[in-house]
Amino acid sequence: MADIEVMGLVKRYGDLTAVDNVSFSVEHGEIFGLLGPNGAGKTTTLEMMEGLRVPDAGAARILGTDVAGNPRAVKERIGVQLQLTAVPDFTTVREAIQLFGSLYEHSRPAGDLLREFDLEEKASTYTDKLSGGQMQRLSIALALVNDPEVVFLDEPTTGLDPQARLNLWVVIEGLRERGKTVVLTTHYMEEAERLCRRVAIIDHGRIVALDTPPRLIAEHAPGTTVELDAVPGLDVAVLEALPGVDHVTADERVSIATRTPEVVLHALLDPRAPWADVASADGEGRHGVRDLIVRQGTLEDVFISLTGGSLRS
Amino acid sequence: MRGFRALVVNQVRGSFRDRIALIFTLGLAVLFMVIFGLLFGENSLNLSLDAVDNDHSAASQQYLHVLAAVHGVTLNQKGHAAAFTDLKNDSVAAVIVVPSGFGAALSHQGPSQQVQLYEANTTSSTATVSDDIVAQVTAGFAGGGAASISLGSPRTEQVNLVTQMDYMLPSMIAYIILFSGVNYVAIGLAEMRVRQVLRRYRATPLRSSTILVSQIVGGGLIVLLQIAVLVVLGLGVFGARNYGSWLLVIPPVILGTTAFVGIGFLISSVVKTSAAARGLAAMITFPLMFLSGIFFPMDALPKVVQTIARVLPLAWVSDALHQVMNSGAGFSAITTDCLILVAWTVVTFTLAAWRFRWE
Repeated sequence: MADIEVMGLVKRYGDLTAVDNVSFSVEHGEIFGLLGPNGAGKTTTLEMMEGLRVPDAGAARILGTDVAGNPRAVKERIGVQLQLTAVPDFTTVREAIQLFGSLYEHSRPAGDLLREFDLEEKASTYTDKLSGGQMQRLSIALALVNDPEVVFLDEPTTGLDPQARLNLWVVIEGLRERGKTVVLTTHYMEEAERLCRRVAIIDHGRIVALDTPPRLIAEHAPGTTVELDAVPGLDVAVLEALPGVDHVTADERVSIATRTPEVVLHALLDPRAPWADVASADGEGRHGVRDLIVRQGTLEDVFISLTGGSLRS
Repeated sequence: MRGFRALVVNQVRGSFRDRIALIFTLGLAVLFMVIFGLLFGENSLNLSLDAVDNDHSAASQQYLHVLAAVHGVTLNQKGHAAAFTDLKNDSVAAVIVVPSGFGAALSHQGPSQQVQLYEANTTSSTATVSDDIVAQVTAGFAGGGAASISLGSPRTEQVNLVTQMDYMLPSMIAYIILFSGVNYVAIGLAEMRVRQVLRRYRATPLRSSTILVSQIVGGGLIVLLQIAVLVVLGLGVFGARNYGSWLLVIPPVILGTTAFVGIGFLISSVVKTSAAARGLAAMITFPLMFLSGIFFPMDALPKVVQTIARVLPLAWVSDALHQVMNSGAGFSAITTDCLILVAWTVVTFTLAAWRFRWE
């Protein structure tokens, strides 16, 4: 049986339906991602699974227990990290871990968690003196204080610098290695691609697609994009006439969508092509194709193709 | 229970680590004691007297009117028991007893009489002043040579001489109940809600009521601990005295704390942000501070203001604490105060629990 079953969850605020009939299930030991822009309903969905919000319709079952029916039993067995890292004032890192540990029937020793999350040096530091990355590590340590089977992480890396984000990814991958079932929300596609076995893409409270990242890309953003600098003689009309080209967009750079990148590249780099010898300012001939990049589709492309909007908007 | 205790301990410990907040409440209370001690260290220039008229004649009334007309003298006519209670509580400098037969003696139709002056058993300057004033008035009223009326030599009564520090200690206890009680809970809860600490606690298996009650009990304990520190300072450093029973100090302190913690809880329930909580708390605490007799007796306030102040809980905390600590009053004297504080507690907690929002 799946660790998590979400069946037709609905949450309304007045006229706004924040979560609109969301269903999915998460297998044991899986990292499952909810990907979508701010305000898409990711956090509200998570909160109904955590027992922090009561759904208007539908239900969530965690480890076989109905969340709305028995929230305290569920809370005993799950770990929760909220978007805002919330620790009381004038509390040291060790005290925070001990405090949260005392709120559960069973808890892990503070020393173990400090070691595991590389916080031993900061054990006696007040939590408000921690860096963003340290704070997020503490926040995840607090989510694991009761040794939960299921862990919820709400935008664990938002606001972190790239190095701290990378460190945290290693921490989250460590959770998978220990057999935890993890549900995380994010609006970073690279995070979802790297960490999640499966991803649900959410927009306006609805799941618009749900699958593994490679299959989502294969289905919704199957093509390859060839990008190059725009130069005279290589306008949109010329490019669209080339073999293998599906679609061309141009602003500062030219983007060519194709399913057969090798055919397009062959035509572009043909030495007999008119743009192969473009006169430059110093009078020397140069090839007109410059700064060429070939890239695969990403979850961002999937999102754009499914919703017409951007993840960051 | 383990979780509840851990939450309370964490909150109380945090409040003592928050030095700025601690200085603001405890430090300010000590500072007030110093300032008011320096300002009003000497006894006041007003001479307050009680008179007991046992003669009830036109002559005795006229005598008392002349005495009352002396500049700086406030004279109240009272029954025997009431007058001596005032004297014992140090609310008057002396009691004058006009004997029965005063009028007859003055018109030489009866035997000679002595007006008797009762004073505090102290060597304070007011006692000498009252001797002199009453002696002069009496001599003048009796018409110089006529020996039919004279002033008996003053008799002293055992009284509680309340110094400015003795008065300030219960006042500062009330001050801490007011400020810490309201602020710790109002601002604390609002801030924990804004910073989502309350929500984080709710994601644990604790009951919602346990979370809320732990924060309120924590706030109350902070107040009581601060009072303990203040009392030690007041007795040890400032030489303040308690004329009453320490046991009787406990009910007004506890009930005052619950009433003001209730107000703090109510504030946190009606505001959205901690800044709004801070503002509303200040709007409530500062006027109360000056209206409720904690810095000077409420009798000094205009009647209208007194009436308003008497509805508010601080006046009752202050009254009960002064009654016990300055006048050595028994429980019967503070029963009303305590009952009104219970009512305030019940009303504020009910309203706050009804209006409370978790986010």
